[in-house]
Amino acid sequence: MTGFRNKVIRLIEALVIFINIFIGLAGGIAVGGGLVALFIVLDIIPRLAQLTRSYDKVHWFEGAMVCGSLYWTVADFWDFKFGITWLTPILSGSIGLLHGLFIGLLAAALTEVLNVLPILAKRLGIVHYMFGLLMAMVLGKVTGSLFDWLIYH
Amino acid sequence: MELRSPPTLYLRLRRRVSLQRGKPITLGHIAELLIDPLWYDRLTALVLYQPRKEDGNIIMIDMMRIVSVVHQMEPAMRIEYFGEPHALVDIVTNAKKPSVLLFILVWLLLFFGSGLAIMNFHADVSMLEVQQRIVELISGQKTERPILFQIAYSIGIGFGMVVFFNHVFKKKFNEEPTPLELEIFLYQQNLNHFVVTEEYDRLQKQGDPLD
Repeated sequence: MTGFRNKVIRLIEALVIFINIFIGLAGGIAVGGGLVALFIVLDIIPRLAQLTRSYDKVHWFEGAMVCGSLYWTVADFWDFKFGITWLTPILSGSIGLLHGLFIGLLAAALTEVLNVLPILAKRLGIVHYMFGLLMAMVLGKVTGSLFDWLIYH
Repeated sequence: MELRSPPTLYLRLRRRVSLQRGKPITLGHIAELLIDPLWYDRLTALVLYQPRKEDGNIIMIDMMRIVSVVHQMEPAMRIEYFGEPHALVDIVTNAKKPSVLLFILVWLLLFFGSGLAIMNFHADVSMLEVQQRIVELISGQKTERPILFQIAYSIGIGFGMVVFFNHVFKKKFNEEPTPLELEIFLYQQNLNHFVVTEEYDRLQKQGDPLD
């Protein structure tokens, strides 16, 4: 009787482990798919490939995205820390710059900027000044970000 | 030397042209012509239509109209065309000088608007926590205000947007079109397509309104 009960308990434990793995995997697939879909819709990789004229190396960029997502997910969950004191300012500055660059690309690719600005300029008759208005947006975002971190918090 | 029979007229209609209010629409204005020099001047100056106030600001000239007007002048002429069989004509009054005050207003609007938008974005995605976490993973110790990271990040945002739009102020990075120019072009193309389709529908329903 106890033997049978133990077998059932072990079976249920195995089932729980399997369900854990399965749901975790499913969640990961959904999130990962969503992330990639976002990057594809915003045309970031084609734009970067066009600027650097490296159309034939696009699969390297895909690899970079996948590896980056994987590494930082695991590092975030399991606390992989560097601790090299002299390297920290350099690393911090450059990763910060890259972070900002990426968000800047994202912000620029959003429909609001790309579709609304030309049409708005055309309607108001200020197409001539459109690039000036573009600079307004860029400077606005940089100033807003600086204000946010240095003063607001 | 005897006059030979009229030669063939080759036409390529321009997609969209502008015309000052009051002036007539001539063939040379809306198309490129290829023909015997004897006929060139007469055909270039040939009046296709005189716009009236009721016709609005955009007039579409169709190949059928051109053929009928040219044949009124010379019944035996053969006409061949390349490309689209229609041309759009914009009737323009004097170009409004762009208002500087409006520009300054819109500039300020966009400046503060984008600043606010990015601040809201940061709050929305809890960017402060994420940045603290990243700096903790890099440096090994918790920092409440990772200033260096954040300043580099802010400068990076500016660079990122500029890189995407392909130029700083007026200087471009390479000769490819910037996304904004592309968007304007596509928008204009869509507009033209829409106007042409609408005009053809009207032609079908009401008969030629230009007659």
